[in-house]
Amino acid sequence: MSDSLYLAWRYIGFNRWKTLTLMACITLITVLPLTLQVLLTETERQMLARAASTPLVVGAGGSALDLMMSTLYFGRDVPELINMSDSEEIWETGLADAIPLYVRFRARDYPIVGTTLDYFDFRGLGFAAGRPLAVLGECVLGAEAARRLELEPGDSLVSSPDNLFDLAGVYPLKMSVAGVLKRTYSADDLAVFVDLKTAWIIEGLGHGHGDVARDGDTSVVLERSEDNVVANASLVQYTEITKANIDSFHFHGEPENYPISAVIALPHDAKSSAILRGRFLESLVTAQIVVPFEVIGALMQNIFRIKNVLDAVIVVVGLATVLAIALVFALSLRLRQREIQTIFKLGCQRATIAHLLAAEIILILFASGVLCVGILLIVDHYSADLVRLVFVN
Amino acid sequence: MKQSIKLVVLIALSTGLQSVRGADDDLLEVYVVNYTLQYFASRITGGHARVEFPAPRDSDPVFWKPSIATINDYQKADLILLNGAGYAKWLSGATLPRAKLVNTSSAFSDRYIKIGGEATHSHGPSGSHSHTGTAFTTWLDFQQAILQARAIAEELVSKRAGLKDTFEHQLDLLERELLAIDSELMEIGEKTPGIPLVASHPVYQYLARRYGLNLRSVQWEPREAPTDEQWAELVGILDAHPARWMIWESEPTKETQERLAMLGIESLVFNPGANVPESGDWLDLMRENVDNLKQIL
Amino acid sequence: MIKITDLDFVYPHGEFRLMVPDFNIKRSEKVAVIGPSGSGKTTLLNLIAGITVPKHGTVEVDEVTVSRLEDRHRRAFRITRIGFVFQDFALLDYLNVLDNILHPYRITRALELSRSVRQRASVLAETMGIADKLKRPVGELSQGEKQRTAICRALLPDPSLILADEATGNLDPDNKSRILDLLFECVDAHRATLLAVTHDHELLARFDRVIDFQGFRGGVAE
Repeated sequence: MSDSLYLAWRYIGFNRWKTLTLMACITLITVLPLTLQVLLTETERQMLARAASTPLVVGAGGSALDLMMSTLYFGRDVPELINMSDSEEIWETGLADAIPLYVRFRARDYPIVGTTLDYFDFRGLGFAAGRPLAVLGECVLGAEAARRLELEPGDSLVSSPDNLFDLAGVYPLKMSVAGVLKRTYSADDLAVFVDLKTAWIIEGLGHGHGDVARDGDTSVVLERSEDNVVANASLVQYTEITKANIDSFHFHGEPENYPISAVIALPHDAKSSAILRGRFLESLVTAQIVVPFEVIGALMQNIFRIKNVLDAVIVVVGLATVLAIALVFALSLRLRQREIQTIFKLGCQRATIAHLLAAEIILILFASGVLCVGILLIVDHYSADLVRLVFVN
Repeated sequence: MKQSIKLVVLIALSTGLQSVRGADDDLLEVYVVNYTLQYFASRITGGHARVEFPAPRDSDPVFWKPSIATINDYQKADLILLNGAGYAKWLSGATLPRAKLVNTSSAFSDRYIKIGGEATHSHGPSGSHSHTGTAFTTWLDFQQAILQARAIAEELVSKRAGLKDTFEHQLDLLERELLAIDSELMEIGEKTPGIPLVASHPVYQYLARRYGLNLRSVQWEPREAPTDEQWAELVGILDAHPARWMIWESEPTKETQERLAMLGIESLVFNPGANVPESGDWLDLMRENVDNLKQIL
Repeated sequence: MIKITDLDFVYPHGEFRLMVPDFNIKRSEKVAVIGPSGSGKTTLLNLIAGITVPKHGTVEVDEVTVSRLEDRHRRAFRITRIGFVFQDFALLDYLNVLDNILHPYRITRALELSRSVRQRASVLAETMGIADKLKRPVGELSQGEKQRTAICRALLPDPSLILADEATGNLDPDNKSRILDLLFECVDAHRATLLAVTHDHELLARFDRVIDFQGFRGGVAE
């Protein structure tokens, strides 16, 4: 067999384009479904892991999926809001710890997540640089957000205005970067975390003193008096919380009425979870309590249904490719008729011809297999990043 | 130093040397926002916790601003005991983990005293501050102090269930002492119904309410000479409220005392105990306060 | 060397019949076979080589009755004892010259490719004047060089019989003569017998004997 392999090796080397084409076909048709499987498995793992680690979410009534997308993945769409009192009520039941989230604003297209320090403990978020939030006006960046924005502790980041044409609306807030989180390969990597109160300040529920005009830049000044500077539209207006003015910041109204987008509830045990869910179901309020694993699990099932369709398509394409490859080998055999006749005349063994063809097929399959394994190893190694790039980003 | 030794001896005596201190690893790390809470927590834990109160001795814990590093220390604690009622203004601008926060006065939050219309002013190196909003020296109503101590004990038990008996025993001892002071103050109040009193600083609202003291406040500092406007304000108050005693957080200057004497007003010290005293412990301070207040009898 | 007796061969579809009552070739003889196309010359070579077997009669080569051997034994006999030289050279374009020469050793277990065989191949190539082209692809060789390579392949197993089917058919006149000289040299050196089918009448005089195949179909001719 080694002689057959040698001859086959020479043959496929001589006919390299035919060989490469065959290898490409075989590799593609093998790698495609397997890659899809790897990526979907990783997607399922990531999405379910994040959902599974989040026991309960409380939010406004409506689409549970929208609520999940906002709460777990900080999606662009802002769900209907609830009040801070909903979070405090959960604390007061003594059945669960409550982590409020307010995901509404963005900073250079990255979601600003207003929350409490408990969120970081809950998600097990560690710090690659800097420190946790300490005072108003600070932010902590996810690993990928920090990398793309090229920011590190000590730098600044300005929140994006809610509406460019609403002059009476939210002014951008200049936030100080306190820390950068370690990479988690989750939506947290792309988030800008702030204290809930900072998020409310961005919204305008909290006010304080801040510089409005840049010193020495007269081009942005519309009107200047002794104690007031009015800027024109060319100025990037922001508020900034500094050591000097932090004491001047205050909030109007009752904090319990302030808006949040959801509450992550961490029940103390299964019984507490059941009781808490029961209370929400019985309650007349429009808020809903959702088990993320059930919602995302149902979403995954839908995805798998689509995967079945894709699998069927791949099977059909695969069959066609196999037939085409078989035809190529058959034609190749025909082209080698003279060679076969020659070696027959020379006195080769009966099995030699079969060995030669088998060796050719084995070598091509082996090379394709090695290529497949290589590609799959690379895909598997980077599957977390690829999934996040495609699905989470 | 003297005060610390006293505290240790007191703890040792009250526990009858029966508590066994666990390994350092098992020590609860508790951070508080004023000395009163530090005293309560230290008494109740009986040495089974490290109770930290980082504000400098000469600062007013209400308006003290911790550094970022100190805030980080608070964040790392196992428990953060808050007074509630808006005490520790720095909390509104700081980020602390909700799961570790304990509002020791939440049991009576519906009975907080709202204050307003008081004059804002500026003074000294710490800058200006205002006493509008909610009165925050909640423990000066010693029934409320007991509730705060109970809230502390409850949280400690939730963290260290195995030490429940120790904590409850320590709480019991503390409660008795607080009750004793409460009784004495009640007696003073009953014996001096309606007697007009003036407070140098608006920090005695709960004391006044609980013990029936007829108290009006100005906003003076013990070590600062009042301005002419402030004297005028006092005189205006005295017209309708002829007080003979002014209650101070600490000993006022001789000049101020003398000028008050010219108005027929004597000074007495009732230290709220927000920060660590020069000597003695919190209980010593309160007993001294009671003795001082007895002068109005 | 070759002895055929009462041979009667018919192709499976019955379109051609070859009858050879008697055919003999002595050892070390160089015999040319001539005849018109379709007279059965190639069929005769196939019968002698054991590629096909007759319905009746015997074919004996080097004292082995090839016609009575089993197929696998005939194949082994063929590849070890008989060397083939074809008109179109029948070289493999995906192998270099050396690999083509060694090719028989890679398609059967009856021959073992050893170092001594490789050395013999080099010597043969030297004799044929193609030693400097051993690593070249056969596509780069001239017609004459290709046929020399084919001759080396045929001679490497040291066969006792060389069957050449129009070996000079695709060569120019100069090369024909040179190749035939080389073939004769090697056949003499290996003390082999040569049976060559040829249309080249100019070369017939150099053979020991010429057999005209015209009379064999349905009869005997010599």
